[in-house]
Amino acid sequence: MNNQKNIAKEIRRKAIKKNWRLFRRSKLGMIGLYIVIFFLFLTILQPILFITGVWNKGVYDPVVGYSEQFQEFLVVECPKEYPTEKYDERSDCPGRTEVNIKTLFYSDAQVGETIIQNLQPAPPSRQHILGTDSLGRDVFSQIMEGSQVAFVLGLLSATLGVGISTILGTIAAFFGGRIDAYLMRQSDLILMLPTLPLLFIISAFAELKIWHLAVVLGTIGGLGGSVITIKSQALQVKVKPFVDSARITGGSRMNILFSHVLPNVAPLALLFMVFSVTGAIASESVLSFLGLLNIDMSWGLMIYLAQVEGFIFSGMKFWWLILPAGLSVTFLTGGFYLVGRGLDEVFNPRLRDR
Amino acid sequence: MYKYIFKRVYQLIIVFFLFLITSYVLFDSIPGNAFQNLLLNPDLPPEAYEQVIKLYGLDKPLSERVFLYVQNFLQGDFGYSYKHYPKTPIELISQRLPRTLMLFAMVNIIAFYTGFLIGKILAWRRGSKSETWITVTSVFSYTIFYPWFALMMLWFFGYKLDWLPIGKFLYPEKWYDAPFDSDVVFVSMIKFTAIVSIVQIIVYIYTRNIESLSMRRNVRFASFIIIALASLFYWNNGELLIQKPYAMDIAYHMILPIFTVTVVAFAGTALLTRTTMMEVMKDDFILTARAKGLSQKRIRDRHAARNALLPVVTSFIFTIVTIIDGSVLTETIFSWPGMGQLILQSVLEEDIPVAMASFSFIGIFALVAHFIADISYAYLDPRIRIQSQG
Amino acid sequence: MNILEVKNLNMSYKTIDGEVEAVKDVSFTVKEGESFGIVGESGCGKTSVAMSLLQLQADNGKITNGEIIFDGTNIVGLSESELREVRWSGISIVFQGAMNSWNPVVKIGEQIREAMREHYPDKTKEENTTKILELFGIVGLDSSVIDRFPHELSGGMKQRAVIALALSCDPKLIIADEPTTALDVVIQDQILNEIRKVQEVLGLSLIYISHDIAVIAEMTDNMAVMYAGRIVERGPTKEIFANPRHSYTKSLLESTPSVVGDKVKLKSLEGEPPSLINKESGCSFAPRCPYREDSCNPSLDMELVEIGTDHYVDICSAGKS
Repeated sequence: MNNQKNIAKEIRRKAIKKNWRLFRRSKLGMIGLYIVIFFLFLTILQPILFITGVWNKGVYDPVVGYSEQFQEFLVVECPKEYPTEKYDERSDCPGRTEVNIKTLFYSDAQVGETIIQNLQPAPPSRQHILGTDSLGRDVFSQIMEGSQVAFVLGLLSATLGVGISTILGTIAAFFGGRIDAYLMRQSDLILMLPTLPLLFIISAFAELKIWHLAVVLGTIGGLGGSVITIKSQALQVKVKPFVDSARITGGSRMNILFSHVLPNVAPLALLFMVFSVTGAIASESVLSFLGLLNIDMSWGLMIYLAQVEGFIFSGMKFWWLILPAGLSVTFLTGGFYLVGRGLDEVFNPRLRDR
Repeated sequence: MYKYIFKRVYQLIIVFFLFLITSYVLFDSIPGNAFQNLLLNPDLPPEAYEQVIKLYGLDKPLSERVFLYVQNFLQGDFGYSYKHYPKTPIELISQRLPRTLMLFAMVNIIAFYTGFLIGKILAWRRGSKSETWITVTSVFSYTIFYPWFALMMLWFFGYKLDWLPIGKFLYPEKWYDAPFDSDVVFVSMIKFTAIVSIVQIIVYIYTRNIESLSMRRNVRFASFIIIALASLFYWNNGELLIQKPYAMDIAYHMILPIFTVTVVAFAGTALLTRTTMMEVMKDDFILTARAKGLSQKRIRDRHAARNALLPVVTSFIFTIVTIIDGSVLTETIFSWPGMGQLILQSVLEEDIPVAMASFSFIGIFALVAHFIADISYAYLDPRIRIQSQG
Repeated sequence: MNILEVKNLNMSYKTIDGEVEAVKDVSFTVKEGESFGIVGESGCGKTSVAMSLLQLQADNGKITNGEIIFDGTNIVGLSESELREVRWSGISIVFQGAMNSWNPVVKIGEQIREAMREHYPDKTKEENTTKILELFGIVGLDSSVIDRFPHELSGGMKQRAVIALALSCDPKLIIADEPTTALDVVIQDQILNEIRKVQEVLGLSLIYISHDIAVIAEMTDNMAVMYAGRIVERGPTKEIFANPRHSYTKSLLESTPSVVGDKVKLKSLEGEPPSLINKESGCSFAPRCPYREDSCNPSLDMELVEIGTDHYVDICSAGKS
């Protein structure tokens, strides 16, 4: 008996090695993996920087940090008509190092004088690689915090969702009849509800922090359409001859479920999980962008703040408030998606290069 | 077969009722109600608030309200909008729906067509350098953070270059003297698009019988020219002539949203087509086609792509279902007053009749589409029909 | 008149595990109207030879050496567009498991017409249809098959349709790669008769590939025996059956059970074919050879030596004696 278990373990280990080799041959998968690893690195980097004291928490904390940067500003008065000899467009005045006298409330400075003011949001500098936002918080630190949020949220909700849909889907395929009908109708019901408005409603009566949001997203995703897909996959396994022979040789239903059906459904479930992560990260970003969540800092929130404070239409002047966050969401979700494609090539031999 | 359909329909009805009840309960669970603003008005005596609540029956317990609503629903009475009294939800929906349809029908058609084309080419060039980076670009196009991207587009094309308008779907100034509503114009635009599409499809199907391939291409091209000329003629006549400048105004406002959404939407189809085509390419009949001496392009288009079409079309059908859900974000950012915005607003304002009506609309839409897809699956694969009772 | 001359053909595949030499130094000729058989076990390279004749090998396969002269022209090294002209109208092929040769969403008639359109662009639809009906007559198919979809036909019908497809552009040479392996014996017999009839009626040349030596005996005028990518014996079919010289051929013939006579224990060959990844020179059959003598030295070079009229055997220098 022991020997059998060892042999099984050996086979499994070899299979995993082979799968890894196959994955490495997938260009898409590897690109995705590098991207994900990069963001994972960012996730870990932040606490390390804090713990090792390289970063002073008072200054670099993404939520409550504060960094003062003073700079000289020239006081100007912005004309009513454009273009003038100094400025081309309205948005050019006041320039980066100037300040409009109309916005000075606490100073008696006159036009042409220079005053010293706090520069927020500050452009990238040596101290702050990606600059600071309008509250003096380091943007790079915020990106790393957002990365943590994205990973935790994504993986949590994906695992929950896929777990639920795999179990339900296999049960539906296996037991058929009334149970199957009920589960299918339940999926239909969830599918009928429009996602975004539903999330709106939920955010209205429940305070959504990271864990709550993960549970909500996971449950909705898990009970929805993926149950149907997993069920059809499980059905295909169920009609295969080896399941019948397992039944005939006296395997109990549970045994068949776990040792035969589930392993064959696993690749599909894994694929789903990876794609669910992309959905979860995207959903969270959208909801934060609309200001509905209670999460302290995330990428979506960064863009929300940028928009609410009116920096979006400033174009390239305050690019560090807009670009890093948006690009992070795009690339991390893209990375996970590419990993999913790579896994697809591992599990589906027809998709491979050779 | 018929027993199956009957069973499904009966289950559908039950699900729909559950859906209605769930939706109502969800809406009710949002704290507050549509009339809370009244409390803020210092001139209004508190009794006024109570009266309004009573008038709308919002003081009754939840179970009673749900029951009443379902009862009314079955009689076709959807109530009046709380916020836009005395408009009924049906009026609002019929006003908003064409706008959303116009926008997203165009988007889906263009995105589907370009996506299929690109996916087809990508799969065929498997393994080449360009395939890898084009696919990666498509992936990032697919996962791009949509609100951020939309805002960038708005800023770039609307603000910076000032080429396209920033939101809304028309210039109010131009419409002051219009003898009709924007809805009329929308409806005629939709009619036009529908007719053109149907004619084009008919031509396509009809020319499949032509033997010579170059002839086929010429006929289709000629038909396209004829349709273009006919449309010019159509719009320059009679009542439509008056509508034309307004239609142009609307079309002008549609350019940016359509472009933005298409960039994101085409990638999904492209990636799906690519995957499906890659699977089909390993089939034996592709080898036979090569042996027959056919050109690569012909094999790709008439053999591989035709077989890859099935799953892609199915996914297209499902995309149609999520049109309204997808439109929420777009319409909010571009201030395009369509169904998506209606749902969002009604949820935020707790305008329960309108919200319920919109949800019901989406629900029915989704159910019907899934039902059709289910039936066709069962028709194609008897094994699934027998195995599952659902 | 030689319709096909293959000289020193070498083909290999690039795989993850290394370079697989599937075809080593294969040479043979096929005359007009002749039927030539290639026999060998699975993996010996016979299908690879067939694929190379039409340059249809997989993306990772390459012809490294040799010439294939069809009707006077060397088709190795031709461009893709030139090859497309040779395909089907010069050489056509009936694949193994030809049932899957059909595109499931297109009608049979349309798929045949497609090939004809490619090579005879000026013919009208009526002319093409008439020709297809003629071909159906020859292979024994009903005329209604033209408008049917592949899944509406039985296995045997699909196979006959594939033969009709292969004939549609008047090729001079047809390659049949195990065309009857997936069918039951009754249909197999019918199909074989059809092929022979077609060949006689139209005067075609035929290359018949199989692992079933009995079929080869029935169908072919000349034959070649392949093992591990090389031809080990080549010559007139009757001669080889009467006088097999290579140990492999002898083993092959001995392992066929006889319907007449006493019941004897089946003789089979032990071991497995060698891996084609490591290029080994010398006798690749030596490890399994039941006739091995002490003087046998497996590392010596092999070459084809004539031992009778047109009868060649792959022999090492030691065996020449």
